[in-house]
Amino acid sequence: MTARSQDIKAQDLEAASALPAPATARLRWPRLKGFEWFAFGFVALLIAAAVLVDVIPGLARPNFPYGDFSQPPEWSLNGLLGTDPLGRSILSRVLHGARTTLGIVAVATAIALAIGMTAGMLAGFYRGPVERAVDLYANTMASLPPILVILALIAVVGNSVLTMMLALGILDIGVYARIAKGGVIAQNDRDYVLAARAMGASDARILAREILPNLVPALTAIVPPLVAGLIITEGSLSFLGYGIPPPAPSWGGMIASSTDLLSRFPLLVVGPILAIVLTVYSLNTIGDSLARRLNDRNRNL
Amino acid sequence: MTGGDQDILLDCEAVSCTLATSRGPLALLKDVTFRLGRRTALGIVGESGAGKSMLIKGIMGLTPSDITVAGRIGLDGEDMVAMPEARKRALLGRKVGMVFQNPMTSLNPFVRVGRQIDEASRLHLRLGKAEARARAIALLSQVGIPDPQECYAEYPHRFSGGMKQRIMIATALACEPELLIADEATTALDVTVQKDILDLLQALQGQRRMSMILVTHNLAVVASRTDELLVLYGGRVVEYGPTERVFAAPRHRYTEALLSAVPRMDEPAHTRLRTIPGRPPDPQDRPAGCPFAARCPAAEERCRQEMPGMTLDADGRHGFACFVPVPAPGPGATAARAEATS
Ligand SMILES: Nc1ncnc2c1ncn2[C@@H]1O[C@H](COP(=O)(O)OP(=O)(O)O)[C@@H](O)[C@H]1O
Ligand code: SF4
Ligand SMILES: [Mg+2]
Repeated sequence: MTARSQDIKAQDLEAASALPAPATARLRWPRLKGFEWFAFGFVALLIAAAVLVDVIPGLARPNFPYGDFSQPPEWSLNGLLGTDPLGRSILSRVLHGARTTLGIVAVATAIALAIGMTAGMLAGFYRGPVERAVDLYANTMASLPPILVILALIAVVGNSVLTMMLALGILDIGVYARIAKGGVIAQNDRDYVLAARAMGASDARILAREILPNLVPALTAIVPPLVAGLIITEGSLSFLGYGIPPPAPSWGGMIASSTDLLSRFPLLVVGPILAIVLTVYSLNTIGDSLARRLNDRNRNL
Repeated sequence: MTGGDQDILLDCEAVSCTLATSRGPLALLKDVTFRLGRRTALGIVGESGAGKSMLIKGIMGLTPSDITVAGRIGLDGEDMVAMPEARKRALLGRKVGMVFQNPMTSLNPFVRVGRQIDEASRLHLRLGKAEARARAIALLSQVGIPDPQECYAEYPHRFSGGMKQRIMIATALACEPELLIADEATTALDVTVQKDILDLLQALQGQRRMSMILVTHNLAVVASRTDELLVLYGGRVVEYGPTERVFAAPRHRYTEALLSAVPRMDEPAHTRLRTIPGRPPDPQDRPAGCPFAARCPAAEERCRQEMPGMTLDADGRHGFACFVPVPAPGPGATAARAEATS
């Protein structure tokens, strides 16, 4: 009798769980906390400003001496963050700096992701010498101070935007490779990989179609904090005078050029510092939020 | 079944799987020989560790790199063992479809159901997107998914174990294979769902006129669903023959013990085979003689010394490897049985 009722219950369960759950359950954004809203909003705004900076109506050119030098902030678009010792709009320079920095960092991340993921996936899938080579690279890069690596590179090939992109990209290849490698190793013995083989899938197909989709969430969560790290590195380089050559605006360069005057015009440094701090904070918050989402979902799967 | 080679789909001859260990080669599977006819269902039975999955992996060429497969595995006349990788990949999924034990893990959690079914037909049959989709939805409805359109666009985690296994069966059938292999396809499922899935497999085998291999540790699963039976023990075939005949008159002592451990053979009985006292030998210390000797009530001295060869009955369809076989019932009884089955 108990067996019978269990049977019915199991059948009900089967039927019930086969029913589609509310349509958006999987994609629904988990409740964001206030500071997470801020983080996503800030990064979205910054990206929009960086893309559109040339067409923002009324915004002065970054190198145009638009007003008196070293003015405190005032209630106008160009004067919102004050002016620098040459009378240029700090807001305009911060936004143009955002375009430069975000552009460089985005390309560097694309390079690092493409190379790192490919190398990491091959290392995790085939192990052996490929894995040892990838590990050696990742460990070496992880044990060197990033600034030194880049300075060495700049010393050899000279300073340019392209050099910066490549140099920053090289820094993160190892990190992405390691994460991809771990994700592949965790999947190698999964039944769905075996099932794909039993369907006649080649190695390349298994990597691209079965394993890669499972790597994407973890990699997505790690991108924002690594991008934040690159922004800091790029800022440090510009601050040291090895970044994007002036007069092109960059956050680090702006901080550097205002240090001489810091005692007399402390406000000069607020704009670029605020930009770096808020961007890095927001990116890290986004990373945490994505990681949390990922954990929640893994628990539900 | 014993007719011309045209009627044989799978022809395994002296198949062995050997694991390379630090202490030398270790035979996991030895001298497995059997033939599977077209449109025939074969049951492979044996306790856990007997080598059933190893045999299937050997047939599919999915053994890990530290295991070597020897012998001949003829699939439709082509030898799978000697075949180049690319040719093997062209046959897997196309000519042979496979359903695994655990549907919870054999479907990719991050890939939509539809794409998992389309994958094979787009790869092997070069179907277009729309065509593959139509085929997949038709398949989903054939395997008993209530709302195939919706299922097609969903991720697997939305479905119960039974439904997932139906989806898995649909993926295996996507290219209309001539052989469907189900390795413990119902073992991980809820008891009430097991029979449904087995009935589905049996029905599909009939409808699609394909061959099928049902691998199980549970004799009751194969009783009414297979034409032929292969009993594995300790990595060897100990008995094979038409299912009805083996059930009616088992000759190997192990098969006899297995059968007496199943209370009812016409319904899934969910009885573990562990009711035979003792455990099967580990591959590391399998005896020189009959692998069943340590547990066999009829064992003699020579059982422990040498491996019994395969004895065939009069028409060569029923074989068993035992020195002291269970006495055959009177010739009249066997003949009557055989007549009733054919
Ligand atoms: N990849 C492997 N490496 C080493 N030994 C294995 C491997 N797979 C299976 N075996 C061994 O081979 C024997 C048969 O296993 P298997 O075919 O999985 O049994 P089953 O009949 O339960 O499916 C077992 O003793 C098992 O330990
Ligand atoms: S060969 Fe000997 S030990 Fe093996 S099953 Fe037959 S009687 Fe038992
Ligand atoms: Mg098994």
